[in-house]
Amino acid sequence: MAEVFKGRREDRRLMTGVGRYTADWDLPGQLYGVFLRADRAHALMRSVDATAARKHPGVISVITGADLANAGFKFPGTMVSYPGRGGQSVKVPQRPCLARDRVRFVGEEVALVVATSKLAAQDATELIAIDYEDLPVVAHPEDAVKAGAVQLYPDIQNNICFDYEYGNEAATDAVFAKAHHVTRLKIESQRICGNPMEPRAALVAYDAAADRYDVYTSNQGPTMFKPGLAYVSGVPPEKIRIMPLDVGGGFGLRSGSFPEHVVLMYAAKALGKPIKWVGSRFENFVTDPHGRAIVIEGELAMDQGGKFLAIRTNWLADQGAYLTAAGPLINTANGMLTLSGVYNIPVGYGRHRLMLTNTTPTGPYRGAGRPDMAYICERLVDQAALEMKIDRAEIRRRNFIPKAAFPFKNAAGAVYDSGDIEALINHALEASNWSSFEARRKQSSANGKYRGIGCATFIEPAGGGAAPKDQAAVRFEEGDKIALIAPITPHGQGHETAFPEIVARVLGVPPESITLRGLDPHHSIPLMGNGVVGSRTAMHYGSALKLAAGEVVKKGLELASRKLEAAPDDIEFKNGRYTIKGTGRSVGLFDLAREHRPDASHPLNANGEWTLSRSFPSGAHVAEVEIDPATGMVDIIQYTAVDDCGDIINHTLVEGQLHGSVLQGVGQVLGEIGYYDRSNGQFLTGTFMDYYMPRAGLVRNLQGHELNVRSPTNPLGVKGVGEAGTTGSLPTVVNAIVDALKPLGIQHIDMPCTPARVWEAIQAAQKH
Amino acid sequence: MAKVAMKVNGKQMSGDVEDRTLLVDFIRDTLALTGTHIGCDTSQCGACTIQLNGRAVKSCTMLAAQAEGADIMTIEGLAQGDKLHPVQQAFTECHALQCGFCTPGMIMASVGLLKDTPKPTDEEIYHGLEGNLCRCTGYINIVKAVKRASQLMAG
Repeated sequence: MAEVFKGRREDRRLMTGVGRYTADWDLPGQLYGVFLRADRAHALMRSVDATAARKHPGVISVITGADLANAGFKFPGTMVSYPGRGGQSVKVPQRPCLARDRVRFVGEEVALVVATSKLAAQDATELIAIDYEDLPVVAHPEDAVKAGAVQLYPDIQNNICFDYEYGNEAATDAVFAKAHHVTRLKIESQRICGNPMEPRAALVAYDAAADRYDVYTSNQGPTMFKPGLAYVSGVPPEKIRIMPLDVGGGFGLRSGSFPEHVVLMYAAKALGKPIKWVGSRFENFVTDPHGRAIVIEGELAMDQGGKFLAIRTNWLADQGAYLTAAGPLINTANGMLTLSGVYNIPVGYGRHRLMLTNTTPTGPYRGAGRPDMAYICERLVDQAALEMKIDRAEIRRRNFIPKAAFPFKNAAGAVYDSGDIEALINHALEASNWSSFEARRKQSSANGKYRGIGCATFIEPAGGGAAPKDQAAVRFEEGDKIALIAPITPHGQGHETAFPEIVARVLGVPPESITLRGLDPHHSIPLMGNGVVGSRTAMHYGSALKLAAGEVVKKGLELASRKLEAAPDDIEFKNGRYTIKGTGRSVGLFDLAREHRPDASHPLNANGEWTLSRSFPSGAHVAEVEIDPATGMVDIIQYTAVDDCGDIINHTLVEGQLHGSVLQGVGQVLGEIGYYDRSNGQFLTGTFMDYYMPRAGLVRNLQGHELNVRSPTNPLGVKGVGEAGTTGSLPTVVNAIVDALKPLGIQHIDMPCTPARVWEAIQAAQKH
Repeated sequence: MAKVAMKVNGKQMSGDVEDRTLLVDFIRDTLALTGTHIGCDTSQCGACTIQLNGRAVKSCTMLAAQAEGADIMTIEGLAQGDKLHPVQQAFTECHALQCGFCTPGMIMASVGLLKDTPKPTDEEIYHGLEGNLCRCTGYINIVKAVKRASQLMAG
């Protein structure tokens, strides 16, 4: 649609320093909050003494767990609404917003100090004396299931809070028992810190006259954020306003509310002043939901010809010390939805055990279960090719779901809407010069380097949600302007640019005359919907807006008919004008709009909605890497991504999503890890000095290609694109690294493939 | 408490701050110039990059008092009225920003980089932006934008 990219509508304010992120907001009379957090992973709290802190100059109040005992807070729940193995439901650990008698992870909220300055509050936190009695610690999911492991909760046996299964266990076992060959692999998708560049912060005010809270905080959509906050705080949702603001990155980490928000609401009401809290990066490292933290055992059964007969996966997913609302959901449903990947595998079975450990709670991080499923599946396929001595592309081709078989029901019962997998891989192999690779391997070898190439073909779910539909509104305003209203909080996607383009195309008016707004908390239109998560926003809110725009055109036709004194059937609508067919007599949409007051009752205003649906973006990615055995450094020479994201609204924005998501995956493959000392639960990677972050130049040659099959699941024909790059890049890059190390006899290496780990693997293989 | 004074975006500014106040906090809290962002505690992320006496500097690495008498430019001072600076122009044309949080620092670092190296190679850009983190773009379009800015500035 946008032929020449002229920049996004949101860019100017963000580039000139006038964007307003949470920490940029201030309210008159505000106080400053600083949280004291647990400095140990597991301990009983014998006593909390805040006397000295309360006397510190500037301190207004110190709130501890004991103060909240009668605040009426509930414990947060989970988004999982389906039963697990044997009909069980999720055992939800009780999490007070401030620890009362026991802390269970480093970083857990213990007290809030409120003072007249941030520095005073910060100083006073150091004066709070807590008498801890340390307890033994479990800090890895595999440690948590061991016999005799420390139990985090007396009522949750073996630290397993949910045991979930799908597919057909008996039928799968039967196929495995008789299969010609079984490939087995155990992989770890390590703990990741999502690290949006904006540290988490909140400014909360309570208006006693209106009995209402205003919450300024980065979020991924008010309709998703508010219910959890209302539930835990016990404040009815209509008494909470989530204020629109700029959000400095989400990646899933900003989708739910946190204990800090609830405590700040309590303090703002108790003290009668707005309270501002701006988290440090360290606080983000230890309290933002971590991603991944999953160990998966996978098995693939096949016949002599390499035809896949069954797949079985067994997950241990670390949930941390407490549950986030979405953590149990993404660690079960997103694996189930793509159990058999892009392959026509008749039966399969998946089992996911969700573990509690003395670590930061985990939750969605870009991909949220999708990359992990693609990773085990595509590593199994490469390993199967190696064991069966079949070319890696060929074994995939023998098993792909044929284009004509879409819509395709996979072994777990999920229905993939559309796709052309074989076309994707053909394009990717050609674009990456796959067939001439061996010559390049030789060349590198002559220079003392190991070169490898790897591919992955994948499919992933986009869409879905908890609210049954997503709604949006088109409103005519003064001066030939149109506002689009949707309950969303964009944070980098470019919605302010793309959504006006969708509506402009239907209405035939310049996109510049249309502005996307979040929900205006002062004049709220009651719209329902889901958050900006799950690669779903264009599919759902974009579709709702397209339908609303169609409604505007219909309403305009009635007005035009009266104005032009002609029957509606004799009038055509094109380029923003209603014209009597075969005549030059016409009237413009804005001409009609101007005849009415630009308010809520404007006759051209229209609403649109789209019910919950799910599309399945797919892709074939290829990575070529070179490894220096002297240092263990992995250099990504070229990355080729061929993706099917359905019809495209704006190619530049799609490419931007691909870049970011591929790099986040590459970050996980090459270096990122949220690292705990397993003996004591101390978090050892709490700064950007210790935690690996992708930097400029990590991937220098990234070529994206589109090979799109329109999705039949929504009026725009789009699929999701936000997470595809992360889903594809985990298996793609690891497959390339393993291919490079193949001459040494190495068949698998776990992420993160840091120079040290790769160097050690090479040393060990050479000694062998 | 200490009184500090400096020139910021062409105007003389001053304020009373605690001795330990960082320059970035003085800029954000005292001067209310919130375009300069704070993304970490350890001078790694570069979101707070400004120009200090013509050099790109992370404003979290120094005390406000150390900037006494300095000539500072923040992101708010970069555009000439409605006309974007060539680096800003290049960032929007190349889609080099998504959530925008790292962007002011990234742009100020790029301005500094191009001042020292008007026609940078890819390697020089990677090196020059090593101290600035972005989580959204994968840096690919940022690198493109720096090159585009170099062209725009050459005229």
